[in-house]
This record gives sequence, structure tokens and C-alpha cells, in this order.
Amino acid sequence: MTGQKRKAAIVGVYATEQARGLERSIWSLELEAIKGALAEAGLSHTQVDGLIPMDYDTPISLHMAWTEQLGGHPITYMSIGNASGGVAKAASAIETGLANVVVIYFGNANNPNGPRQLKMLDRAPRVKDWMFLVHGAYMSVWYAMWTQLYLHEFKAERDYFAEYPVKMRENAMLNPASLMGSRGPITIEDVYASRMIASPLHLFECSLDNDGGYAIVVASEEIARDCKTKPIWVIGGAEAMYTDGYQTITAPWNDPKGAAVKRATEIAFGQAGITHDDIDVAGLYDCFAITVVRNLEEMGFCKLGEGADYMHEGHLWLDGNMPSNTDGGLLANSHNGNPSGMHTIEVVRQLRGECGARQVKDPKIGVSLAQGASVHGLAGVAVLARD
Amino acid sequence: MEIEPYLRPLPMKEPQNEPFWEGIARHEFLVPKCNNCGDWNWVPYPACRTCLSEDLTWTKIAGHGTVMTFSVVHRGPPTFGKEPYGTVLLELPERPRSLVILGNTTGMNPEDLHIGMRMKIVYEEIPSEDFVMYRFAPA
Repeated sequence: MTGQKRKAAIVGVYATEQARGLERSIWSLELEAIKGALAEAGLSHTQVDGLIPMDYDTPISLHMAWTEQLGGHPITYMSIGNASGGVAKAASAIETGLANVVVIYFGNANNPNGPRQLKMLDRAPRVKDWMFLVHGAYMSVWYAMWTQLYLHEFKAERDYFAEYPVKMRENAMLNPASLMGSRGPITIEDVYASRMIASPLHLFECSLDNDGGYAIVVASEEIARDCKTKPIWVIGGAEAMYTDGYQTITAPWNDPKGAAVKRATEIAFGQAGITHDDIDVAGLYDCFAITVVRNLEEMGFCKLGEGADYMHEGHLWLDGNMPSNTDGGLLANSHNGNPSGMHTIEVVRQLRGECGARQVKDPKIGVSLAQGASVHGLAGVAVLARD
Repeated sequence: MEIEPYLRPLPMKEPQNEPFWEGIARHEFLVPKCNNCGDWNWVPYPACRTCLSEDLTWTKIAGHGTVMTFSVVHRGPPTFGKEPYGTVLLELPERPRSLVILGNTTGMNPEDLHIGMRMKIVYEEIPSEDFVMYRFAPA
């Protein structure tokens, strides 16, 4: 590709051990990830001048604490969000001279996302007025309701949703770091036979819920050229949000106009000057199959109501034209609380050619989509390219 | 109710939403309606989403709707007990801005839920907590 801006690149990525019940602190996981990602690039922590923590509730005091931890030199860029959006903003900050080395990082330890998040207490706890936990509607329940509606609205084929975890298990089996790969293959029948969690979703259709940390380092062109890794250029990127977090759902829930994922994709693809056919490998946030189905529609790979069919056609599988979530994704690799960076990390490794048995043949352009907070409420897209 | 006393999370009654919880205690479901443009706003927000007016009145709604979607939850948080419970997004007839309310079912087998089913908002006393909570029951 020519004419694309190549002013900032991902120069380091690192994921800690991903597992349930790690006896680690969040800080320790984040520190390991930051050090690991910088070491891979051959950079020092003294060069970091931008911080984007991935905790959705990040206060500015967290940036300040990490500024101190990293030695107390001036940090000139601080932001929030999800990882793909973070990569987009880091690149933008670097291009405009606000920073030179930006670290995106996250860690989670013993802070489950699933039903285990509510502990047994001796009195009913009080939560914010319209908080979904009042009704026991934790994340799997939201996505179950979304799946239920989609199946009804578009008369989609139920088996295509159960096929997704089967394919992701296959990917995980080629990823030694994945949580589920060592458990071997599963079939659609196994998916239906796994216990019901929230109808229509069975256990094997739900995200993992584990601990772990990761970091992504974005650096300027000048620095990237001297790093130990192959630069993975950020040629486009954007973020978007359209609603408060799990507060208000509008009817129709699947709006033909599209929402945050559509908008972020349009901006990012426009910046990069790419079309859908240019993408060789992708990381599409995949907490549940419905998320992938709706990602594909909102991103414009197919029309509203066609996502399940499109997925079943095999474009995303390892032998497809745009292999996606080749690490096993959030159902079979890791879901560590805010796993939005895991998709970007896998795309970077694919573009570098580091993925061993699951390596996609000679990919040049990759895309990562992060989403969350109100089912497509908050979206981030990063378009990445190798030299 | 399977677990006694009631141990599920309950909303904090905060000053800005006091009229809502007072309404619920009277078995009335109140939604802020904009006096400027006439639109309804759920969840309650400080100003109308359509015209940004702060001139809102807590207004009683018809109190029934249809199931936009649902899930029967078999694996809930520990304090929700072992019996499956129904979680519903109920679409109300009030317009133009759509009102979709999250809640649990009561007085029915949640396995009987289906999309498009008519339901009404009902009120459930939570004795150990001195709290009235809204639920959805078949209309």
C-alpha cells in the first residue's frame, strides 16, 4: 500500500500468564506487562511519556501513580478507553508531538466479571439506582438477551452461533498460551450439552473469566525504526461511544442506522484508505458469538441480519480470507476483565509472523476491534500494517 | 423467594430519584416526561435527551408492555439462589423516544417467556428490607 501515514507503530506487546486465580496483584501484572513490552522493543521505562490504562474506571490519580512508578519524569499524554481506541489515540498523540512512547496496559487479579462478582453477604447490598445487578443481569445475561433477540428478529440459524466456540477452540489448540487449548476439540453437540448459563447461551458459548495482564507500546516513527521488533504501523484508528453503560437500551436494539462500531470503523478505514478486502487478519472482540455477528454487520462486512450467515461461510476461520481471533479469542484464549488489548496483540504477532502453528500466510494489513460497555456501547478500531 | 432474607442488590435511593421510589411504593411507575418537547426519558437523566430541557415531570406510565427480549438465567450470582430467574427487557408503548425497562419476572414460570409477550409492571414487597421493587408479570 502506498500513501498511508506511517508515523507511529506498535513496537512492543506483552501478555502475562492468563489464568484463573493468579496469586498476583493488579499492579504486579501491569508492571510485568509494561516491562515485558518495553523490553521486547528495546526501550527503557524512562522513555515512556504517554499512559493509557485500560481500567474503565480510570481516574487521573491512576495516571499520576504510574507516573511516579515509572520514575517521576514528565508524562505528556494520558488517556483512557479500550485498547484499539487507545492505539488510535496514542498514534494520534505521537503524530502531533504530544508524546513519543505511549504505553497501553491492563491487569486483572481476582476481580471476576461473571456471576462470581457478587459475593454472599448477610444483607442486600445497595448499588446505583439503575444498576443491572439488581436484576441479576450480569454480562452473560445481556449478551444472552441480545442473542435471543437476534435469533428471533432475523430468523438466524442457531447452529451458526454454536459453531463459533468450536472454531475458537480449534484456534486455541494451536496457541500454547491459551486457557482452553489443552482441553482439546469440542463439537456443536458438546456446546449444546454444556450447562445452560443464561438462555439461549450455554457454558461453552460464554467468555472465559480469568486473571492476567497485558501491555502494548506505541512509538514514533523515529524510535520505531531503531527498535528490536518489526514496526507494526498504525495506519488508521478511531473510537466511538453512543450510550451510557448498560443503562438505556433503545428499540430497535439492532438499529439499521448503525452505532458506535460502525462509526469508529468508518473513520478508521477512511484514515487508512483501506476497503474490507484489504484486510488479511483481524481481531474482532468476541465475548460471545453474537458480538462477532454484530461486529461484522456494523463494520460493513455484510448487511444487518446477515452476520451469522457470513460467519458460517468461514471468512474468519484459520483457512478463511480474513482469519480472526486466531489466538482462540475470549472464549478459548483469555478474557481477563478488559481483554480489548488481546485482539490487538494477536494481530500484531500475526503481522510480525510470530504465530507458529496458527500463523496466517503473509498478512500485510490487520484490524483490531474492541467493544464493550453496553453491548457495542463503546468501540475502538485500529488498522495496522507491517512494512 | 428462595433465599431468606433477600440478599440480592437493591438500588440506593438517592435524592434525584426519590419521586420514582415514592411512586413505586404507591405502585405507580413514574418516568420523567419533558414539558418542553413531550418526550419520555428512561433511565431518568437530569435533562431531556431530545431537547436538553431540565423541565421534566415524573409522569405515570400505562404500566404494560411487550417483551423485546429476555433470558432465563440458570447461573446467577450466588445471592440469586439456584432456581432459574427470568430477566426481561420490556418495551413500553410510550413514544416517541422508546422506553425499554430491565426487570425480573414474577408470578410465572420463566420458561414460558417469549418475545412479543404482553406483560404488566407489578410491585413486590421485600419485607426484610422495607423496599418495594418493580417486577414484570404476564398481562
